[in-house]
Amino acid sequence: MDGLQVQGVHKVYGSTAVVDNVSFQAPQGRILGVLGPNGAGKTTIIRMIMGITAPDQGDIYFTDHGRKTKGVPFSTIGYLPEERGLYKEAKVMSILLFLSGLKDVPKTQARERAMHWLRKFELEDYAYKKVEQLSKGMAQKVQFIASILHEPKFIVLDEPFSGLDPVSQDLFKEEIRALANSGATVLLSSHQMNIVEALCDEIFLIHRGKEVVQGNLESIKERYGNFRVDLLSSTAREAVLATDMVQNVEQLAPQRYRYTLKDDIRPLEFVQALPTGLDIRELTITRPSLHDIFVNVAQGGANHEGSLEDRQLGNYA
Amino acid sequence: MKGLWKIANWEITRNLTNKQFIIGLLLTPVLIGVFSGIPILLERLNQPSLSTYYVVDHLGELASLQALLPENISLEAHQDSASIADIVRDTNSSGYFTLDQAFISTGQIDVVYNDRSMETLSTIRGSLTALLQQIRLASSDISVNQLTFVTAPARVREVALDEELEPQTMHMIVALVFTVLVFFLILTSGTMLMQSALQEKRDRMAEVVLSSVRSVQLMQGKILGHFLLGLMQLVFWIAIGLPIARYFWDFSVTEALAAVNVPIILFFGLGGYLLFSALFVGLGATMEDLQSAGNSQSLVIMLPALSFLFMGPVMTNPDGAIAIFASIFPFTSPAIMMMRSGLTVVPLWQTLSSAALLLLTAWVIMLLASKIFRIGMLMYGKNASFQEVTKWLRYKES
Repeated sequence: MDGLQVQGVHKVYGSTAVVDNVSFQAPQGRILGVLGPNGAGKTTIIRMIMGITAPDQGDIYFTDHGRKTKGVPFSTIGYLPEERGLYKEAKVMSILLFLSGLKDVPKTQARERAMHWLRKFELEDYAYKKVEQLSKGMAQKVQFIASILHEPKFIVLDEPFSGLDPVSQDLFKEEIRALANSGATVLLSSHQMNIVEALCDEIFLIHRGKEVVQGNLESIKERYGNFRVDLLSSTAREAVLATDMVQNVEQLAPQRYRYTLKDDIRPLEFVQALPTGLDIRELTITRPSLHDIFVNVAQGGANHEGSLEDRQLGNYA
Repeated sequence: MKGLWKIANWEITRNLTNKQFIIGLLLTPVLIGVFSGIPILLERLNQPSLSTYYVVDHLGELASLQALLPENISLEAHQDSASIADIVRDTNSSGYFTLDQAFISTGQIDVVYNDRSMETLSTIRGSLTALLQQIRLASSDISVNQLTFVTAPARVREVALDEELEPQTMHMIVALVFTVLVFFLILTSGTMLMQSALQEKRDRMAEVVLSSVRSVQLMQGKILGHFLLGLMQLVFWIAIGLPIARYFWDFSVTEALAAVNVPIILFFGLGGYLLFSALFVGLGATMEDLQSAGNSQSLVIMLPALSFLFMGPVMTNPDGAIAIFASIFPFTSPAIMMMRSGLTVVPLWQTLSSAALLLLTAWVIMLLASKIFRIGMLMYGKNASFQEVTKWLRYKES
């Protein structure tokens, strides 16, 4: 399989295992969302993939066109870190040329591509302006361009949407999807669950350095999210409970109830089981959002010894 | 290796297109010129002005005293000791005094001054002493010749045992100029390096760059870049300074070049640069900004200044114990060895041990700095404590 393979990676700082025996895959052409609460170990995993820090145990492989290398070669990586910026006193174009130069992109080609992308983000007028003159959103676009200018095979985006307005968010989403479609492996870390839900093909959820769940988004929802039925009705409660398909009831408003269905109950099954004369004014059946699953899992795993937030060494690794 | 040069290249172009750097480049020679020129200028402006002293002369020696004085001090005879103070005030003269018999017998005389020019007063004192000796001599049996013979100072000639020990002024000057120049460059480049690391952290660029090059390459690229920048500055300053220096002092360039102890200056200049640049770039990686430098960090910043403490003692006694220590101790040896090589002939064993110790220290500091740099560059928001830094030194390399 082309793409990234993380095998049994383990990293200890002091006496805390920041990343505890983690394995996952990011297949080529897909977008993998790495999720987890603050201090879960996401940045450490990303830095180990980047080769910025070394795992104590475990290996990281990258396969491109069937050729497998240990670690991801620098020239194939595009990286947008969470802590990011630009040289303030330098011009936009010279920064882009410098960074793509580090990735061995010839200067003329880099300049062409840079102009292409700047035009795409409506920044062509700023190409030869100093970074100081950019707004925060503009700077973030330049950072994004810098991370993909060399057409990387493997792209790591750490919180790429934070601080962006909705229009720019959509633009970023579109471009990230296009990058994956053109054959890049994308690893995306974000707290914005709605975006992750809309964008990612695969999910890897980590908490306190340990894997909580991973896999295809749909299969995760299947595994962790029973169907939810929201009903607006004055009389339905008894009849619904009588179907014996409900795991849990929650009153949202005087006549509005939310029923969580039992594990194997399909929506149609449930609807067919309802008596025909029932007075129903509104009915929606949904899967719980990734957000709910995330919160659930994160809280469920909270009884872990020692909090990572108390780590003494700060946010450097 | 390619990454190293790209980083170096970036550091160079970034600075060469930076206004601050250009201004510094142009301003430094101007500042040096101003600071070395102003004392000379002041000296010139302070040429002895004319001053007049009124004298009540009961001895009739006014003419002989005037003969002992330089031209810019003139004496005016005045008869009335009661009004003399007013006259001095009215004419704004320099002062007055009275020559009388008591002066000859006791040697005591009050010179009342109006303007307190130390130089004039000390000239007057010298001339009065000479006059006193003349007058006393005339009334004794000793002849002038005898007196001159008795009071003549010893004429000491300093002759070196071996010819090579003899200091050559040209060597001394060239060595000193180079020492100051090279050391100044080491300091400014070191500071710029530290700021470059700080800036990379402040601008949050470190992580992006580190996804393209190894941290060792980033560090070495910075060191190399600032080394080349320093060389450019040196060449630029010499190109400007040499014609100016030749305009003021007539000397032969080839002779001056011959006086440069090239191997010593090259080796210790380079060694010193490596040592201090590694020290400063590593230091920069541990800090969030300059203002919040902790105690241990400030101490490291002060380290290069040690050399200045030793410069005076080494100048007066270039073969003394202090000089030998300072030219072997690796944190002072770059500057002091360069300086000593112009002042004296340094024994080979000292040069060799100093060189070896400098290389070894620079190498060790480089290793430590690269470990600190690797982790420090990715730490945001605070200064690293001493304990943290020692912990980083034990982390596994990637």
